[in-house]
Amino acid sequence: MKFAPLILKHLRKNWLRTLSTVLAMAVCIFLICTLQTVVDAVNYGLHLGNASRLVTRHYVSLVFNLPNSYKNKIAAIPGVQNTTIVNWFGGMYRGDMKYFFPNMAVEPEAFLQIYPEIMLPEDQKQAWFHDGRGCIVGRKLAEKWSWKVGDHFQLESFIPPYRVGKPFDFIVDGIYDTDTVKYPGTDLSAMYFNYKYLYEATGQRAGIGTLTLLIDDPKNAGRISKAIDAEFENSDVQTKTETEQAFRASFIAMAGNLALLLNGIGLAVAFTILLVTANTMSIAVRERQQEIGVLKTLGFPSGLVMALVLIEALLLGLMGGALGLILAGGAIHALPNVPFIGDVVRQFPGLGLSPRIVSYGLGAALLLGLWLAWCRRCWRIAPV
Amino acid sequence: MSATEVANKTTAVSVQNVRKFYQRDTMQIKVLDGLNLEVPQGEFLALMGPSGSGKTTLLNLIAGIDRATSGRVLVAGTELGTLSEGQLAKWRSRNVGFIFQFYNLIPVLNALENVELPLLLSPLSKRERRERAMTALRIVGLADRSKHYPGQLSGGQEQRVAIARAVVTDPTVLVADEPTGDLDHQSAEEILDLMQTFNKEFGKTIVMVTHDPRAAARAHVQRHLDKGVLTN
Ligand SMILES: Nc1ncnc2c1ncn2[C@@H]1O[C@H](COP(=O)(O)OP(=O)(O)OP(=O)(O)O)[C@@H](O)[C@H]1O
Ligand SMILES: [Mg+2]
Repeated sequence: MKFAPLILKHLRKNWLRTLSTVLAMAVCIFLICTLQTVVDAVNYGLHLGNASRLVTRHYVSLVFNLPNSYKNKIAAIPGVQNTTIVNWFGGMYRGDMKYFFPNMAVEPEAFLQIYPEIMLPEDQKQAWFHDGRGCIVGRKLAEKWSWKVGDHFQLESFIPPYRVGKPFDFIVDGIYDTDTVKYPGTDLSAMYFNYKYLYEATGQRAGIGTLTLLIDDPKNAGRISKAIDAEFENSDVQTKTETEQAFRASFIAMAGNLALLLNGIGLAVAFTILLVTANTMSIAVRERQQEIGVLKTLGFPSGLVMALVLIEALLLGLMGGALGLILAGGAIHALPNVPFIGDVVRQFPGLGLSPRIVSYGLGAALLLGLWLAWCRRCWRIAPV
Repeated sequence: MSATEVANKTTAVSVQNVRKFYQRDTMQIKVLDGLNLEVPQGEFLALMGPSGSGKTTLLNLIAGIDRATSGRVLVAGTELGTLSEGQLAKWRSRNVGFIFQFYNLIPVLNALENVELPLLLSPLSKRERRERAMTALRIVGLADRSKHYPGQLSGGQEQRVAIARAVVTDPTVLVADEPTGDLDHQSAEEILDLMQTFNKEFGKTIVMVTHDPRAAARAHVQRHLDKGVLTN
């Protein structure tokens, strides 16, 4: 292709313009792909949850606990088969938020019955049931910190009632895994420990953060929820009971709003970058239009001139797109470690650049390339 | 030279009863109205006239860049009106060399590559193209600047590179629109010397538009265009 140098020389001689165009495109593609992945993950999270599980919590806010006496009263309501306390412990590993992973105080036996997706060998289960300071950790979490059964570690909570002057000691009794086909989206980076430990370490002041209930039939969820909340209607502390799905949704909605916000900011940034690029390009356009006119005057066929311009623009688009996708791949890989958003996206199975999003990215790159070519269009012949 | 030889002297450019109208909104602008011009092979013709008289328009018709509204334009034995756009482009690349007032070099290509540009449309090998381009640069006296970019050359040097580009395909006709219009006296003289060389030694037919009487004095024939009509 003897015309290739003509294209490459443009890209090389105006390397600063090439670089800024490629970078601007890369940032746009990066933002589009990363944010789309987050939004997808959040949407996915909204649909997770088991329909035969209900969650009861303080009517006002998750910040407040329910009295411990509520557990037996709720367990007695017809249709409720099993209950476990699930308290968000808010423990920080190594005293730093950046090592954050979800950790919850639960009632081991009931918890494992209600959550069949948490799977671990029988001997590890038994060890956990009988070990006051024992905990189980997800396979991914264990891999991350190279924890084996029998290892010790400490967590210190940032929630005031759970701050008891010293960190909590834990022993790894089991490492749980899941059946990803049957239970997609199970978080393998969480840690669960015995509620009794929390209760005693806080001088029996820990209440019930949330109570998860297993009910006989998802069809009865509405009736049972109403029955529970009616039971405490006239008490000092009222309850709010909803399906686990709804509970997660309200929880994730916060992350979802954040994702939407990020998306908005991202798109605004992308748009700004495009405008800046457009400006840079328009400076280049005059020069290029004259040049295209010269080529045509010298007898270059219109089709060839158009092809040269298109290929150059598409090359820019391709470079920008590839770079943007590489950056997005890296960012999405790092996403689960981001506090809060990370908790939500981590449940997304096979988190990564999906083919759909890659095609979005490449499509956007292609469009940007075509747009560049359009900017340079000029099929007139230069005046002699 | 006998009388018959003169009569048979081949005609490089023949413009026959050509009209060129431009339509602007509802108004019709008659730029050329029944113009006739014969340029014999090997002639150096200077075309003069006031601004807006249609000099560039006529040059564009001769160079096959634009089409006449009516009439015939024959250049190097081809009637241009019969060619399609694609054929016309191909014809230009083989038969016409262009020299512009503002040189119109490609800024990202060096002098040698600029000169080589029209040869990309020929079937020559890369080596042959380089050799020819180098030869053309040598003739215009810029062999030592072959790796320089247009931005690194003076106006006069740029125009010499442009002339090398115009002649590198060995065209029949050279068209030049105010080739010295943007140059100082010294550089203009050099450019005119070069054009005379190509006319005398290489037998190129040249049609040059100019406002400069000194430039016109270098030509064999001077024609004046006024309101779309050739005088003298
Ligand atoms: N594409 C066009 N559309 C409409 N009118 C045109 C077009 N090109 C030229 N004209 C008009 O035709 C007339 C002749 O223009 P032309 O460029 O040939 O003049 P010129 O003799 O070369 O002038 P100058 O010495 O200023 O270069 C002018 O009135 C111009 O406005
Ligand atoms: Mg003119």
